[in-house]
Amino acid sequence: MNKIIEVKHLKKNYGDKEVLKDINAVIEKGKVITVIGPSGSGKSTFLRCLNLLEKPTSGQVTFEGTELTDLTEEELDQLRQKMGMVFQSFNLFPNMSVIENVKLVPMKVKGMSDQEAGDLAHELLAKVGLDDFADHSPASLSGGQQQRVAIARALAMQPDMMLFDEPTSALDPEMVGEVLKTMQDLAQTGMTMVVVTHEMGFARKVADEVWFMADGYLLEQGSPDQVFDHPQSDRAKDFLAKILEA
Amino acid sequence: MKKIKKSGKLVVGMSADYPPLEFTKNVNGKNKYVGVDVELAKQIAKDLGVKLEIKNMDFDSLLVALETGKIDMIISGMTPTAERKKSIDFSKIYYAEKSDYFVISKTNKAKYTSTASFKGKTVGAQTGSLQYTSLKKNAAKSGIKVKGLAKISNLLMALKSGKVDAVLLGELNAKTYATNDTSLSLVKSSLSQAQMGNAVGVAKGQGDLVKAINKTINDCQKQDLFNKKYIPAAAKAMKQASSKTNNSMSKYASYFATGLGYTMIITICSITIGLALGVIFALMRLSKNKLLHAIAVCYIEFLRGTPQMVQIMFVYFGVGMLIKNMPALAAGIIAIGLNSGAYVAEDIRSGINSVAKGQTEAARSLGLSQAKTYRYVVFPQALKNIWPALGNEFITLTKDSSLVSVIGVGELMYETGLVQTATYRGVMPLFITMCIYFVVTFILTRLLNYFERRMNLTSSRA
Ligand SMILES: Nc1ncnc2c1ncn2[C@@H]1O[C@H](COP(=O)(O)OP(=O)(O)O)[C@@H](O)[C@H]1O
Repeated sequence: MNKIIEVKHLKKNYGDKEVLKDINAVIEKGKVITVIGPSGSGKSTFLRCLNLLEKPTSGQVTFEGTELTDLTEEELDQLRQKMGMVFQSFNLFPNMSVIENVKLVPMKVKGMSDQEAGDLAHELLAKVGLDDFADHSPASLSGGQQQRVAIARALAMQPDMMLFDEPTSALDPEMVGEVLKTMQDLAQTGMTMVVVTHEMGFARKVADEVWFMADGYLLEQGSPDQVFDHPQSDRAKDFLAKILEA
Repeated sequence: MKKIKKSGKLVVGMSADYPPLEFTKNVNGKNKYVGVDVELAKQIAKDLGVKLEIKNMDFDSLLVALETGKIDMIISGMTPTAERKKSIDFSKIYYAEKSDYFVISKTNKAKYTSTASFKGKTVGAQTGSLQYTSLKKNAAKSGIKVKGLAKISNLLMALKSGKVDAVLLGELNAKTYATNDTSLSLVKSSLSQAQMGNAVGVAKGQGDLVKAINKTINDCQKQDLFNKKYIPAAAKAMKQASSKTNNSMSKYASYFATGLGYTMIITICSITIGLALGVIFALMRLSKNKLLHAIAVCYIEFLRGTPQMVQIMFVYFGVGMLIKNMPALAAGIIAIGLNSGAYVAEDIRSGINSVAKGQTEAARSLGLSQAKTYRYVVFPQALKNIWPALGNEFITLTKDSSLVSVIGVGELMYETGLVQTATYRGVMPLFITMCIYFVVTFILTRLLNYFERRMNLTSSRA
C-alpha cells in the first residue's frame, strides 16, 4: 500500500462555524476518489485543505511523506506544483492566450525555456484535443474547452496528483461530456485524482473509491458499489435517494 | 545680519500687487518689480553691500515666511500693529498715510457720500490688510458687511461686477487706482484711526539689522527721497504698466509660457513621485503585515481627508522649518506628489481588488509564489482597471498644480496673477489661462485614451 496523502483529525473553522469536523482519510497512489455529498457539506473546503489553499484550523495533512501544515509559504509553493487543481470556474488567465496560460508557470517556476514550455504545451493541448486553439484567447472558447485548457495547464507542472473541484458544475449540459471524457482518459494513465462532483454516473463509473461527506464529516468511504448500493448512514441513503430520483 | 552678509544676498518679501508701493512691470516680456518699497529695498541692500532678491507672495503669507526664514525682511506697505509686533520686529516708520478711502464706481457718486452711507452695504478689502481689520472691527457699529480677497486687482474686479459696493484702500493705493481708472471715484473713510504708517519687518532678535535699516531710512528721509524720487518713479512705472500698448495680452505671452513650463514640470515631477508612492502604499495596504497596513491606511486617509492647499502650505512652511532653503518649487512638487500618492494608491488597490480571487487561487495552486502571482497574473489584469483611473489622476493633478501659486511658485496660475496686476485687467488673463489648461488637459485626455485603446487591443486579440 503506497499512500500519497494522509489526513488526520483535520478541522477547519470559519469564525465560529465548523466546516470540517475531524476528517481522517488516506489516498493511495494511482487511485481515483470521487467525493459526493449535499452542497455546503464541506467538500470544496476539504479539497482546498489538501493543497493548503485554505489553512486547516487543526490536524495534519501529509503529502508524499511531508507534513504540510507547518511548512513555510516557499516550501508550500514547491509542493503545490505536485498537486494540480482544476476549479469550477476554470480560472484561466484572460489576459493571455491559451498556450500562454499553459506555458506561464513551467517557464516562471521551473525555468523552462520558451521552446521547451511551448513543446510541452502543444503536447498537452493535443492531449485534451485543443491544439488548434493554442493562439486563441480563453474568452473565445466554450466553457468545456476552457475547462480542458485548465486541465492541460495543471498537467503542465507534471503533478503527482490532481484535485478537481466540481469541474463540470459551471458547464452547459452538452459540454459536460467532453470534460468528463478528458478526466476519464487522465484516470486511465494512472494519475491519482480526487474529484468533488455532482455527476453521479461519472462518480460511480470512474472511481476506485467513493467518499460521502455530510455536515463536515466523512461519513462513508468505500467502493462505488458499496456506497451507491449499500450506504450505511441515513444521511447517505437520503442523499442518494433524492439524487437518483431526480 | 551675518547670514545676509555671508550669503551676499538680501531676500525681501513683498506682496507685489500694491501699487505704487510694490508692483510688477513687464520689461521686454520680463517681469520686473517696481514701486516705492522696491526702491527702499534697493537702497537697504546697497547700504548693506549685498545683492537684492525679491520674493513675491500673498500678503497673508509674509509673516510666516519671515518667521520660517524664507525671507530676511518684509517691505510690503506693512503697518507695525501691536498684533504683528508679537511675532516680528519692525524698523521705524518710513512712510505714513493720512487716511483710508472707499473706492466706488463713479456712477454711484451721488449715492455714497460718507462712511455712514455704506451701512448695510458690502465693502471689500485686502485680506490681512489694515483696512480689512478696521472694517471687521467696526462692522457692528458701521453696519458694513466685509468681503476679504487676497488681491487688490480681484477686489476691483468684484467692484466692477457688483459683488461689492466699495473697496476700502489706503490713501496711496486709492489715489493711484483712481487716477489710473477714471470710472472710479473716492470717498474718504472715517473708520480708521490715525495711520501708523509703514515699516520694515524683520525676524525677532536682530537688533543690528533693525539699526542698519533705520539708518538707511533716516538717510532717505533726510534727503526726502520718498517724495522726490521714489514716488514719482513709481507713478511713472505705473503709468507705463497701465498704458494701452502694455495691456495687450500678446506682450505677456512669455509670462504664460513660463507659467505653463513650470506647470508641466510640477505635473510631471509630482505624478512620478505620486506613482512611486502609490505603488508602495497600495502594496503596504494590501499587505498582511498589520503595521505596514496601518501605516498605509493612516497615510491614505489623512492625505485624502485634508485640503490640498493646506498640505502645500504645511510642506512649504512647516517642513521648510526643518530643511532650510527648500525652494518653493520643490516644496510644491513634494506636497502635490505626496497627495497624489494617496490617490494613486487607492486607484491601484481597487484595480488589484477587482481581479477575481479565482485568478490568484489558480496561480497559487500551480505553485506560483505570491510575488510571482502578483507580477504575472494579478498586476497585468489590474493594470487595465488602474490605467483609466491613473489617467484621471494625471489630469486632476495638472489642474491642481495651480494650487502651488499660494506659496509663490511661478506656475501658470501665479503668472496669471502677475499679468493681472501688471495690466489691470482681471478677466482676460484668467480666460487665457483657462484656455491653456483646457488645451493641455484635452491633449492629455486624447493621449491617454489612445494608450488605453492600444492596451485593450493587445490584450484581447483572438
Ligand atoms: N471563505 C469562507 N468563509 C466563510 N465560510 C465559508 C467559506 N468558504 C466556505 N464557507 C462555508 O463552509 C461551508 C462548506 O462550504 P463548501 O466546502 O464549499 O461546501 P461544498 O463544497 O460541500 O458545497 C458552507 O456553509 C460555506 O458557506
